[in-house]
Amino acid sequence: MKKISTLAAAAVAFATPALADYPERPIQIIVPYSAGGSTDLSIRLVAESLEKHMDGATVVVRNQPGGGGTIGTSAALHGRPDGYVLGAAAQGPLGLAPHLGGTDYTLADADFIGLFARSLQVLVACADAPFSDFDTMISYAQTTPVQVGNSGAGGANHISAEAFAKAADIQVESIPYPGSADARTACVGGHIDAMVASPAEALAASQAGQMTPIFVMEDARIDLFPDVPTAVEKGVDFTWSSWKGLIAPKGIDAAILASLRSAVEQVATDPEFVKKMTDMGELVTYEDADTFAQRAAHDSETAAGTIEDLGMTGMNN
Amino acid sequence: MCLRSPRQAALKKIRPPMEFASYLLPLFQLNVIGAIALGTLGGLIVGALPGLTATMGVALLIPLTFGMTPVMGLNMLIGIYIGGIYGGCVSAILLRTPGTPASAATVLDGYPMAARGEAGKALGMATIASTIGGLFAAVVLATLAPQLAGIALKFGAPEYFALAFFGLTIIASLSGDILKGVLSGMVGILIACVGADPISGVLRYTFGVSGFASGFAFTPALIGLFALSEVFTQMERLALDPGRAMPVTGRWPSRQDMSESKGGLIRGSLIGTIIGIIPGTGSGTASWIAYNETRRSSKQPHKFGTGYAPGIAATESANNAVCAAALIPLLALGIPGDVVTAVLMGGLMIQGLAPGPMLFQTNPDVIVGIFGGTFLATIFMFIFGMLLIPLFSRILLIPRHILAVSIVIFCFIGAFAINLNAVDLYTMVGFGVLGWGMQKFGFSQPAVCIALILGPMMESNLRRGLLQTGDDVLAFVSGPITLLFLGLAVLSLVWPLIAARIARNVTLPSE
Repeated sequence: MKKISTLAAAAVAFATPALADYPERPIQIIVPYSAGGSTDLSIRLVAESLEKHMDGATVVVRNQPGGGGTIGTSAALHGRPDGYVLGAAAQGPLGLAPHLGGTDYTLADADFIGLFARSLQVLVACADAPFSDFDTMISYAQTTPVQVGNSGAGGANHISAEAFAKAADIQVESIPYPGSADARTACVGGHIDAMVASPAEALAASQAGQMTPIFVMEDARIDLFPDVPTAVEKGVDFTWSSWKGLIAPKGIDAAILASLRSAVEQVATDPEFVKKMTDMGELVTYEDADTFAQRAAHDSETAAGTIEDLGMTGMNN
Repeated sequence: MCLRSPRQAALKKIRPPMEFASYLLPLFQLNVIGAIALGTLGGLIVGALPGLTATMGVALLIPLTFGMTPVMGLNMLIGIYIGGIYGGCVSAILLRTPGTPASAATVLDGYPMAARGEAGKALGMATIASTIGGLFAAVVLATLAPQLAGIALKFGAPEYFALAFFGLTIIASLSGDILKGVLSGMVGILIACVGADPISGVLRYTFGVSGFASGFAFTPALIGLFALSEVFTQMERLALDPGRAMPVTGRWPSRQDMSESKGGLIRGSLIGTIIGIIPGTGSGTASWIAYNETRRSSKQPHKFGTGYAPGIAATESANNAVCAAALIPLLALGIPGDVVTAVLMGGLMIQGLAPGPMLFQTNPDVIVGIFGGTFLATIFMFIFGMLLIPLFSRILLIPRHILAVSIVIFCFIGAFAINLNAVDLYTMVGFGVLGWGMQKFGFSQPAVCIALILGPMMESNLRRGLLQTGDDVLAFVSGPITLLFLGLAVLSLVWPLIAARIARNVTLPSE
C-alpha cells in the first residue's frame, strides 16, 4: 500500500509540477542578440539578481543572435512552457518584425513577465548638420529630407524616426547601417544629418562637441538634458522608448508565472541592481505584466501604421 | 574645429613627466598585472579553439569586470582581445582551421609549413610577427592616437566602397588561374547576398528558412570552407595511405626566414595599423591586404602559398596591429573600430566612463593605463605563445586518422557554439563540401573567403552612397581617399602584367 501511495504522489507531482519544486533546473533566458550589447549586459545583470531573489535558482543567459533578433525571440516563444525557458523582450523582433512578415510568431504568442527598464531615445544632430535645434530642423526638413542614420532597416530606430517624421509631417531619408556603432561613426564623421541615440551616449558626445541633442522622445524633459525639449512640448504628438523586460511562451503554470513576476519586481527595485543599470545608462523602472503588455501592444500598433506607410507590411512573407 | 580643441588641451595636460608617471601607478599593481596576464592567456586559449572567438571571450567576461577598477577590468578585456586574435593562428597553422576569422589568411602559408614538419617554426614566426605588429600599433596608439583618429571620420560610403573594391582585386593576384579565381570570387559574392538586404531589409534567397535571415554565419562558413574540406580531402588520401604523424621541429625561425620576412613585418604592421583605425573593417580585411601587398612586393612571389614564412609574418603582424589600432578611434573619438571594441565600449560605459575626447581630460589615468596595458598584454602574449608552442605542436603527433576525427568534432562544436543555431551546422557542412570540391578542381578557397568579407561591404556602401547622393555615381570617383583606393585597385589588377613585362626586359639581354 505504501508503495502505491508513493507512486501516486509521484504521479501527482509529475502531472502538476508543484511550485515548491520550482526551480529545480537552471532557468534559461534567451537573448536574441550577441553577447556584449546593451540588451545582453542588462539581462546578465537581471540573471545575477534573479539568483539572489529566487531561492536556489540558477539562471543562465543564452545568446541566439541573427535575423534582427527574430531567431532568438522565436526560440524563446516556442520553448517548452515550463518556466525554464524565458526570453528577453526586445522591441524590434517582438513589436515590429511580425508586421514585416517572415516570423513564425506574433506579439500575441508572448506572455509578459515584467518590464525592468526603458531605454530612452534622443534625436541628435550629427557633426556639420545644417540645423542645431528642433525648430531649425523642422524648417530645414520642409524643403530637404533629413538624412537619419539607423542601425538596420526595419529595426526599432528606423521605424521610430519614420514615425516621428509622420507625426511632425516632415521628410526624412532613412540611411540604414549594419549596426548602431556604424551609424554612430557616420554621425560623428558628419556623413549623415541625424540619428537616434541613447541619452548616455548623446550626453558624452554632445559634451565633446560631436553631436547636438535636438529633442527627447518622452512626455517630459529628462534630468540628463534639462535644456533639450520634447517633441510633445513642441506640439508634435510623438513619444518613443524601447523596452528591457522578460517574456515567456504562453501556457506556463499560473503559480510559476506568478513567482517569476514577483521575482522580476524584486529585481527591478533592488538598489544594487538599480545602481549597476544606472551606471550603464539605463532608466530602471518597473511595470507589471499587464502594463507592459499594454505598452507593447501600443508600440506595435504605432509601428504597424508607419510600416504600412513605408510599404513594408508583410514584405518578408 | 570644436572637435579637436578639448583633445589637444587634454594632451597638453597629461604631458608633464611627473604627472604621467603617477598615472602609471594604478597599472603596476600586482593584481592588475596578474589580471592582464590571465586575460591574455585566457584569450590565447579561446582564440586557439575554433568557434570561440575573441569577441565572444571579451563579451562573456565583461560581467566579471564589474567589480574591478577601470584600469584592471579594461586591461583584462584588452588582454583577452590581444591574446584571442593571436591565438587564432594556432589552429590555423596546425589544423587549417582559422580559430578566428582574423587568421584565415594565415592558413595559406602556415598550414603548408606545418604539413612539411615545420609547425614549430611557423608558430614561432606567427608569435614574433604578432608581437611586432602589436607593439608597433601600441606605440602609434600611445603617441599619435588623437592625430590619427581623424582618419576614422573621413570614411563615408564612397570611401568604404573603394576600399572594398581594392580589397577584392586581391583575388585576381592571389589566384594562379585568373579565370577560376574570378569565378570563385563571384560565387563568394553571390553567397554573401543571402540574408536580409542591407538597405531595404527584405530577405533574399532564404527560401523561408528563418535561420538564414542574417545570411550564412561567417565563422561556421570559414570553418567548413577551410577545415572540414581539408578533412574530406585527407580522408580520401587516408583511404589509400594510412599516413604517419607529422614531425614537429623547434620554435625559432631561422635567420634567413627572419631576414626574408622583414618586408612582411613592416607592411603587415603598417597596413594593420591603418586598417585598424578605419572603423568597421577589422583584422580579417587587414591580414588579406597585408598578405597580398607583401606577396606583390616580394622577389619570390611564387613561394607564397607553399609554406613561406614571410606570408605568416605579414598576416599575423597585420591582425595583431589591428587590435591596438582599433582602440585609437574608440579612445580618441568614442567610436568603436570593430566588434570587439564595440563590446569594450560597453565595458567602459559600465565603469561610468564614456569613451571620447573628454576621457583624455576627465580620466587621463585610465587612458594612460590602457596604453600601458596594451604593451603589457602584447609582451605577455609573446611569453605565453613561445612557452606554449611545443605543447601546441604536439597535437600533430596524434595519428592522422584520430586527429581527423577530432577536427570534425571541433568543427561541429565550434560552428554551433557561435550562435547556438542549428542552421549554422548545415552551413558548415555545406561549405565543407563546397571547399572540398573547389580544392579538388583547383578553385581558390581564399577567393571565396575574401568575397565573403568584402562583398557585403562593397554592396551596402555602394547602395548607401547612391541613396545619400540621390544616385550620383560621380561621388564614387571623387575625393582623395576614394581615388587613392581606386588607383591602388587598378595598380593591383595590372601589376602582374607590368611585373611580367619588366621581368622579360630584365632577363632578355642576358639570354
